[in-house]
Amino acid sequence: MIPGFTQTMVNFLQYIFFYTVFSLPLTLSYRTTKVINFVHANFITYGAYTAVFLHGVLGNSSIVIAAFLAFVIVGGMAVLDNLLVFTQLQKRGSSPAMVMISSMGLWIAYRYLLYVLTDIMHFYTSKNFVSYGRITYSDIPSISLAEFNLSQAFIASMVATILVVSSLYLILEKTRMGRAMRAISDNATLAEISGIPRNLVINLTWFLCGGITAVGGVLWTSFSGAITPEAGDSMILQVFTIGFIGGLASLLRTSIGAIIIAFMENIGIAFLNTYLGVPVSFRPFLTFIALLTTLILFPPLGAGGGLPYRFRKRGLSQ
Amino acid sequence: MIGFDIVGFIISWLTLFGIYAILSLTLNMESGVSGVTNFGKVVFYGIGAYISATLTTYLILMLNGVDIVENPPYNINGVILLGELGSKNPVLNIGLFILSVFLSFIVAGFVGYLLSYPILRVGPEFVGFTLLSTGELLRIFLLHFEPVGASKGLMAIPNPLGWIPDSRVRETLYLIVILAFLALTYTVMKRLLNSPLGRTLKSVRDDETAALCMGKHVPKIKALVLFIGSGFTGVAGTLLSYYFTSVNPNMFVPSVTFNAWAMIILGGMGNLTGSLLGAALITLVDRLLTFITPLLGITVISPDYVRWIIIGLLIVVVLIVNPRGILPEKPIKTPALQQVEEELKK
Amino acid sequence: MSNILEVRDVAKFFGGIRALDGVTLSIPHKGLVGLIGPNGSGKTTLFNVITGFYVPDRGSVWFRESNSMVRIDGLNPNEVFRKGIVRTFQTPRLFNSLTVLENLLVTPVNQIGENVAKALYVKSWREQEIELSKKALGLLKTFGMLPYVNSRISELSVSHMKMLETMRGLMTPAKLYLLDEPTAGVDYSMARELFTYIKRLRDEQNLSFLIIEHRIEILMEFVDYVYVLHNGRLLSEGKPNEVTSDPKVIEAYIGA
Repeated sequence: MIPGFTQTMVNFLQYIFFYTVFSLPLTLSYRTTKVINFVHANFITYGAYTAVFLHGVLGNSSIVIAAFLAFVIVGGMAVLDNLLVFTQLQKRGSSPAMVMISSMGLWIAYRYLLYVLTDIMHFYTSKNFVSYGRITYSDIPSISLAEFNLSQAFIASMVATILVVSSLYLILEKTRMGRAMRAISDNATLAEISGIPRNLVINLTWFLCGGITAVGGVLWTSFSGAITPEAGDSMILQVFTIGFIGGLASLLRTSIGAIIIAFMENIGIAFLNTYLGVPVSFRPFLTFIALLTTLILFPPLGAGGGLPYRFRKRGLSQ
Repeated sequence: MIGFDIVGFIISWLTLFGIYAILSLTLNMESGVSGVTNFGKVVFYGIGAYISATLTTYLILMLNGVDIVENPPYNINGVILLGELGSKNPVLNIGLFILSVFLSFIVAGFVGYLLSYPILRVGPEFVGFTLLSTGELLRIFLLHFEPVGASKGLMAIPNPLGWIPDSRVRETLYLIVILAFLALTYTVMKRLLNSPLGRTLKSVRDDETAALCMGKHVPKIKALVLFIGSGFTGVAGTLLSYYFTSVNPNMFVPSVTFNAWAMIILGGMGNLTGSLLGAALITLVDRLLTFITPLLGITVISPDYVRWIIIGLLIVVVLIVNPRGILPEKPIKTPALQQVEEELKK
Repeated sequence: MSNILEVRDVAKFFGGIRALDGVTLSIPHKGLVGLIGPNGSGKTTLFNVITGFYVPDRGSVWFRESNSMVRIDGLNPNEVFRKGIVRTFQTPRLFNSLTVLENLLVTPVNQIGENVAKALYVKSWREQEIELSKKALGLLKTFGMLPYVNSRISELSVSHMKMLETMRGLMTPAKLYLLDEPTAGVDYSMARELFTYIKRLRDEQNLSFLIIEHRIEILMEFVDYVYVLHNGRLLSEGKPNEVTSDPKVIEAYIGA
């Protein structure tokens, strides 16, 4: 048995929750809006920092309030990005690659803007926001069952995952808005002709996706011991890889991707560390291998403008 | 301003410009002209830098009879020895420099060629993310790899001109070396662009499927472009390592790639002179900010952060307002155009 | 009379969809053959199979090379082009950032200047470039497009774009042209002009054509033979007047 196996299992589950909450919105946003959005990393970070500033500057210790505010603020951020940048570019007929590049520009700008904000807040409160400690919330329990110690983070993220998955399911299957989102994912032009208000649905999708991801960021503050303005960036490899495993189309496969990556990063690396001495900080390599494997074995053919078929070596049978 | 060393400022700006302009020229060739969106620029830059650093520090020690197992170049003793031995033999220094340039071109170029295979089977958006991650993985690997100094990196790398006693002369001569490499890169890129190959590259960018239908072996072409672009980028990395006389993994972060992208977007994608212009402007702003920062004293908002916010927003604004950048793409100049003139005159 | 192209019992399935289900057809040397069928009948899929974008799940495709038929299914599109088959698209796929002249010049294969090492030395490819541009200018003159030589693609009319697509092929020794709705979006008199050119090319340059075309009047006037596709199968074939009076064909079109 690997030392600390129980804890590794708990971490494994924990990460499944986090990755699910981070990645499902990415898949949903891409498949509806067809934008590869790097600001997604900032959604996580800004969600986390909403909680951090509420805690550090205003003394808030309610995770529910933090989550609610984060949802609204970051959801609004996402909508603004869409209105001010993405739609402007799409109107000009920019290629999807250009839209992605613009999202990268926004990503950098948002990251350093957050650094500036942490400095300003530091100026006013003399607290260090560049690396903020774990937040203990007053409205979540932490449970001890036999030899398992389930932290606040575990409970909160478990509850959140259940809520997110079920509400996404309900929204997409049972509501008109959800069905409109699905129609637009399948065929935007056709959906528009059928009378679906495309811009409204897309903006709502952004609001929802930004909001959910931000809630993930809030959860993260109860888990991570060092919250920095690069918190989201440090996970962007994993989150995008999971999205790619889901083909950026299937929410179910994205969830499976979350399980796979959480497995590799917790249990997989534990094995490699114990038996082969691989340093734990090499986790990203495992994820990268998963990414390359997905791209090579199951390339999203035609998706995002790739060659519309697979280029073969001389397959001539004479 | 009192004590403002304007010559020193210009030399440091132009040196940085020279190195970065190689990055922006090659990136323009890859992404602007050929449509191979390269978000892993920093990978090849880092490879080139580390190859020259490793090669030079290890060989100088070994050729001087130092036991590198006892005193590897990343240990304090090794560093001291490098400092002493580094400027003793000009021929050795220059020889190692030339060797490093060749080696980094080939290795970085080869890695670029290899990387194109799995990645180019999918569209530009997936390429972008995968290459970004590759860059980060290289950095993490280097952070842990003892033989190249892990997180401390390598220091006291003997500059090929290190034997020149006067620092101002040395800086200026090295600047000339860098500008020579820049001129070489520019000439090569320009010639390739204004040729049937350049036409083919643009056709692949415009419509891969149509290019295939017109007999172009698209994957091979993209791999070739990455080979050449990455090779020159590796050389830029070598030049960098000798300039700073040290390398460490945190010099090779995604920001390097973003800087290069900002340069080509600003200067004009598809226009090589534009890449030079973009590189000049952005390195100038960078140098000015580095210069002004200590003069401002302590401020609430760090100018370093502001610079990045500006670069990020610059990318967005230029793309929205004038995606062509400052200088537009020009038609390909080949002898064909002359024929056209003659024909039209008839 | 020998055939330049033979499609033998080709089938192509996508999941449960039978896009092509056993199609056999042949194009004779110097043939001007039409391919018609309701939307979704598999015409473009057939083109994609012939030009190497899809590998057929069953059957084979054969092309005449010197004196024998060689099998070409399984080749990549660029290899198919090099064998001598040119293909156009319903919506013209031209290179938008290149001028009209550059679009023509990019087509010939194995240009000296496309080799990286040679590209650096203008002298090595200068002569070939001048030769090719003379040829391109000649073509532009023939088609009455000389004034557009340095124009951007965005400045061209639809009919000019379609002509340019075909002209690109003429820069090479290609023998077979697969044209996908060359007259879509073009008015009737222009369509007749296009087909008159095509017929001339067939007569004067010994080229062969397989053309997806909907306008019955055009087919009747210009085409030798017609194949009708429906639901991935050949519904009918024959001379234009035979096919258009075939009750099965009429039913398929009205029912579709």
